[in-house]
Amino acid sequence: MSDTAFGFLLIGVAMLVVLGVIFAVASRGSRGEVAPVHPPRGVHLPPPSFLPVVMSVGGVLLGAGLAFRGDGEVANPFLAVPGLIVLVLGIFAWVRAANHEWRETEHGPHDDGAAH
Amino acid sequence: MATTTLEPRAGTFSRSWVIDWLTTVDHKKIGILYIVNSFLFFFAAGILALFIRSELAVPGLQFLDQDTYNQAFTMHGTIMIFLFVVPVLAGFGNYIVPLQLGAPDMAFPRINALSFWFLPLGGLLIFSGYLFGGAAAEGWTGYAPLTDDTYAQGVGTDLWIIGLTLVGTASILGSINFIATIFKMRAPGMTLFRMPIFVWTILVTATLIMLATPVLTAGLIALFIDRNYGGSFFDPSVGGNPVLWQHIFWFFGHPEVYIVILPAMGVVSEILPVFSRKPLFGYKAFVFATIGIGLLSWTVWAHHMFTTGAVFLPFFSFMTALIAIPTGIKMFNWLATMWRGKLMFTTAMLFAVGFISMFLIGGISGVMLASPPIDFHVQDTYFVVAHLHYVFFGGSVFGVFAATYYWFPKMFGRKLNEPLGKVHFWLHFIGFNLAFFPMHQLGLSGMPRRISDYAANPEWTILNLVSTVGAFMIAVSVIPFLINVIATFINGEPAGDDPWEGNTLEWATTSPPPPYNFDRLPPIHSERPLFFLTHGHGHAAERPEDLEEEQVHDERPADVERREDPLV
Amino acid sequence: MTTHAEATAREEGKFTPQDHQSGMPTALVGMLLFIASEVMFFGGLFATYFNARATTSGAWGPPEGAHELDIALAGVLTAILVASSFTMQFGVWAIRRGDTGKLKLWTAITLGLGVLFLAGQLYDYSQLGFGVGDGVFGTVFYTLTGFHGAHVFGGAVGLTIVLARAMRGQFSARNHVAVEAVSMYWHFVDVVWIAVFSTIYLLG
Repeated sequence: MSDTAFGFLLIGVAMLVVLGVIFAVASRGSRGEVAPVHPPRGVHLPPPSFLPVVMSVGGVLLGAGLAFRGDGEVANPFLAVPGLIVLVLGIFAWVRAANHEWRETEHGPHDDGAAH
Repeated sequence: MATTTLEPRAGTFSRSWVIDWLTTVDHKKIGILYIVNSFLFFFAAGILALFIRSELAVPGLQFLDQDTYNQAFTMHGTIMIFLFVVPVLAGFGNYIVPLQLGAPDMAFPRINALSFWFLPLGGLLIFSGYLFGGAAAEGWTGYAPLTDDTYAQGVGTDLWIIGLTLVGTASILGSINFIATIFKMRAPGMTLFRMPIFVWTILVTATLIMLATPVLTAGLIALFIDRNYGGSFFDPSVGGNPVLWQHIFWFFGHPEVYIVILPAMGVVSEILPVFSRKPLFGYKAFVFATIGIGLLSWTVWAHHMFTTGAVFLPFFSFMTALIAIPTGIKMFNWLATMWRGKLMFTTAMLFAVGFISMFLIGGISGVMLASPPIDFHVQDTYFVVAHLHYVFFGGSVFGVFAATYYWFPKMFGRKLNEPLGKVHFWLHFIGFNLAFFPMHQLGLSGMPRRISDYAANPEWTILNLVSTVGAFMIAVSVIPFLINVIATFINGEPAGDDPWEGNTLEWATTSPPPPYNFDRLPPIHSERPLFFLTHGHGHAAERPEDLEEEQVHDERPADVERREDPLV
Repeated sequence: MTTHAEATAREEGKFTPQDHQSGMPTALVGMLLFIASEVMFFGGLFATYFNARATTSGAWGPPEGAHELDIALAGVLTAILVASSFTMQFGVWAIRRGDTGKLKLWTAITLGLGVLFLAGQLYDYSQLGFGVGDGVFGTVFYTLTGFHGAHVFGGAVGLTIVLARAMRGQFSARNHVAVEAVSMYWHFVDVVWIAVFSTIYLLG
């Protein structure tokens, strides 16, 4: 098996292992209950979000697709296409989350409807 | 009507700590992620350094071949700069800046998290070159045409380019976050000239990152096009210009080194007043010196290119020497801060004072390099390696450790053990000087850099051997540090809100702070709000109103009323 | 608010930061800074163009056997993009008055003009007869115009999002930072094109 193919296999297996570990640990629940946060009046904090991790993975996949380009290709389709899909879906999800938060704080005097 | 506060979910809910850290948008957690991730890369790049020093200890190729050696110093430099020293300082900035400003978080919390996650993934991408026929091997400066596809075949260099582009993009987003936070989210009463110096250095650093890194991105993309799509930017055989790469790279590369040093200077400026029990001497001069260094950093890039023959030497030499002035102002201000102070040599203070002395040496060798006659003699020799390590390591890394010992209690609620810290410091300090001081002489006597082997020669051999011993001593010094961190997590002495009697707002809340940072803020009328809250004007402070009545005439009247300075 | 009142408010534990933001909204500050970084990115690309032009011996232009650059088409594209900046600004003025209908109209027109620009750019590429790998000129030409086109595409994505949100009635006179931000970006893209056009087509 060529070096490159072996490398891909290694990366794929490593990712599956890491995802498996995360899934296994995550589904075991927490050390205890987490109480919701009550910040003082005038402060709002956005909720936790998977999107930053997801978007980074998408970006890295796209980048890897460019790096592992075969001859005559613009990019490696097996990496770049999933990367692009993840990025596009991620943008949709991000905008939707921002819309949702905007609607929740519609009545606030200082919100600005921006996605951040 | 009251503002609706956003909460993840109503009522209590369980969530595993893995998901918690993966989805966090809290600047404090993100700061810790930055710092931990950076230290992991620090150790990886440090191991590469040990490989380098082991090979160079005595003449003859012992156990590395030339290509592996080239990969080692390339990855060492790339990882240390892009994946350790810049992100770790960004991590401290992320944790501390909102606290010092009295803000509940950064301006764009989700983008903050996005900026972080590119780091471990981008770093792994760069490292993955080792799995695919070899990592990048052309030096962290990636000079063309060596990096063109004629000479650097294989995917390692492409991975280096892509990885750095991703990491660079992340840092640009992070810098925008910092600038927006500093301009828009300061607590009432905190005018720009009442911000802590650390925040000022982060502001100037972020501006440099925001404006310089895109230029690197342009260069990296151009290099990728040359390597992959038949481009002709830098390849002389098809009409390209290799010196163009150097111009683009160093136009970024020089502001980059100020990006690396300014936050560390900010850390030192925070630590010295606290452990000298005196205000920072010359606050305004500090601010202007920082801005001056930031501005001047754009005008000196070609001093890395004196020997190309394509550079107008007098201009760049003059501008480079000029940077010594604002730097010198800072040096004297630090000394004046300590002068006649009640000095307390905690580990953080030791690292801060170590910074001043080591950075001084690095600065002096830098001014020597600013002179073309000297530079022509020592360009690409170990003299330059000595200079860069005295400023990067003796400067920034000392600053990083100072910050670690200083802010660890705030982040984790426990103080690191002081005796162990002092062992760490002295091993680190002695090892560092043993490793890098001999390199000045090696360079002056002609030893080139980036070579895997050298001719047998008693002077060179003994100096290289001493340097290798020093390198291993630095490695050993990490052991008491790690033991300290782990033991403190398990069983450390609780720190309380303000273990060091600090001056700035991060000490006005619990250790660690609650998610929204502050229950209430002290009044802010100076750059040392906490000092005045605790000490008043020579007597213990009573109610905040009394404090203000007395202080009003101390400040310029206009400052007292103004809230944040609007941007427009 | 006097110092005294502020102090009292603070003493009672009330938080006064973001209660009323003075000056530019934070999201707009972020967009402005992002645009600054993009200016530097294009600065790097322009530097490659000028350096290549200065250090190339012989004629500077498309390689032998390829067509000369189509200035007329580029001029038309310039007109399209400049017009789209105007229509974008009309949309911003409309929503500042609270006119959501006109916002949707002008945003849609701007988006259409942007897409027209991209189509024209691709048509130009197809007619040129040289590629990115055909010598120094080809490389810098395609890199500079290509990355500009990519930024137009990004702006078009932003316009689409603004249009979609406008159609769902999410913007008001008081509340439309996203529109302002996207319009700033769109003007930036236009200014960069004017620089690209002047450099490549007018300066030569």
